[in-house]
Amino acid sequence: MFAQFIVNGLITGLLYSLLAIGFALVYNTTRIFHIAAAGIYVFAAYAFWWLAVKCGIPLLLAAILAIALTMGLSLFSEVGVYRPLRGKKSSLSVTMIASIGLMTVIVNLIAMVFGNETKVVETAILKTYSLGNLIITTPQLYQIIVSVVAITAFLILLGRTRLGLRVRALSADESLFESLGYDKQRAFSLVFLASGLFIGLASCALVYDVGLDPNMGMTVLINAMVAMIIGGAGRFGTCVAGGLLLGVLQSLTVYCFASNWQNAITFALLLGFLFLRPQGIAGYKQRVV
Amino acid sequence: MEYVFHIAIMLNIYIMLVLSANLTTGMANLLTMCQAAFYGIGAYIGTFFLMQFHCPLVVIIAVVSLVTGLFSFVVSYASVKLKGDYFVLASMGFQLIVYTILYNWIPVTRGPYGIPGIPGIRLFGIWELSGVYAYFALSLVLAVVAILLFNNLHDSPYGRTLRAIKADELMVQSMGRNTLAAKAWAFFISAAVAGVAGVVYAAYVSYIDPTSFTLNESIFIISALFIGGIGNVKGPVFGALFVVLLPELLRFVGLPDAVAANLRQVIYGLSLILVVYFRPQGLFGKMVLK
Repeated sequence: MFAQFIVNGLITGLLYSLLAIGFALVYNTTRIFHIAAAGIYVFAAYAFWWLAVKCGIPLLLAAILAIALTMGLSLFSEVGVYRPLRGKKSSLSVTMIASIGLMTVIVNLIAMVFGNETKVVETAILKTYSLGNLIITTPQLYQIIVSVVAITAFLILLGRTRLGLRVRALSADESLFESLGYDKQRAFSLVFLASGLFIGLASCALVYDVGLDPNMGMTVLINAMVAMIIGGAGRFGTCVAGGLLLGVLQSLTVYCFASNWQNAITFALLLGFLFLRPQGIAGYKQRVV
Repeated sequence: MEYVFHIAIMLNIYIMLVLSANLTTGMANLLTMCQAAFYGIGAYIGTFFLMQFHCPLVVIIAVVSLVTGLFSFVVSYASVKLKGDYFVLASMGFQLIVYTILYNWIPVTRGPYGIPGIPGIRLFGIWELSGVYAYFALSLVLAVVAILLFNNLHDSPYGRTLRAIKADELMVQSMGRNTLAAKAWAFFISAAVAGVAGVVYAAYVSYIDPTSFTLNESIFIISALFIGGIGNVKGPVFGALFVVLLPELLRFVGLPDAVAANLRQVIYGLSLILVVYFRPQGLFGKMVLK
């Protein structure tokens, strides 16, 4: 039973890591506290649900299309909202307020069109796989495959390719990046596309398992932010460490107390890290501006 | 007519809430996402004292503002340790922890069942306030007091210290001012005013449950603040007017309830983006958040 909770926690942790990477891609490079990611996450879920259930497109194709749409929306958040604000030299706090506005608009437009009630993607009872005492459901299996593949590919891309090098350079020093003649705006657009990809992946994988409603975004995003910070902001691989730790701890909370205390535990963990080890598990100390 | 007064009461409550958010966010430059937590703490503490001891008005306001203010030290401690986004996230964390406790500590707060039948506030210990008109008068007096308080605070030596901290904290420190104490007091006053708004709400509605004090409510208060404007008193008051009166105007358009609620939020969100773009200090505000 205990091992089962650990495994469930690890799987949830992988999904948090995916979303945390999506958030960190924006946060580390542009320094925008991208709260609108919660709206983008909800959008991805509804695009997936609409394509798969309403239009009857096969699941895999629906997921791919939904993720493409999500990347479009993510790019729009940069081009339509953040870039104009950057052009006006708005401070980052002000940009965050705009991000909250964008999140509110996306979530409530979706609620207006599709209603506030919970929806499900998969209604059939799916096969489960057992591994000794452990039981893994089909959605969980998909979640493991999707997140492990995506995270591995991301880390390889980030560490080994010129594109990854640029993202790391951008997150290390924006003005140096520009003064060496690289196009910052274009790099930002790419980063937002990648961020949309990860948010979309996390959203589709989770929604396939637990269903969707318009107000789910903020809770999941906060978990992802916490995962990013306890892992260590400023780097990308650390999101995975943070996500897994958070997932396992939340799962153990369910094992020891009850599921309704999860949020409190999450934030107790966050506050503990912020006060005692603000650089996270594997981060480095950052200068506070 | 009672309908108009009901809206006026909610307006007064929101004026207090948005003004209290303005003290920390607009003047001390510490963006907080936990005003609804203090609002909720005030409401629950106030409910406890009203139901157990039937306290008179002055006592209940003193007790609630003191206790809620004490809770604010958690947040002001976080503001010492954390800067920028991390502080915003920590304040969201405080908000969510408070909500989780209100929701799940059922033996004390009755959790999702809420607390019904809250007695009215007693003026001078004898005359129990009830009905819309009495609470309109009470909330109006408190809102006016809050407006006067923050108006005077703005130009007082203390208010100047806060604004100087916003401009350059190190400089203020080097002039020999205790910036930590100034910020802690800002949180204390802000939380106390939000708490008083909470007890007025609890006594007026005579029923509270945790869903009135969510993170969304905090975001809502911050939205109102940024639409109205930060850094002075006019801005927050206008922001409260905007968010309270807009739904009532939409009521006349005659949309179904479910759609109207979401449409309202869409309008808030859009106005927030547009205001931030065209007037980063808010419609009637004075300062830009750094």
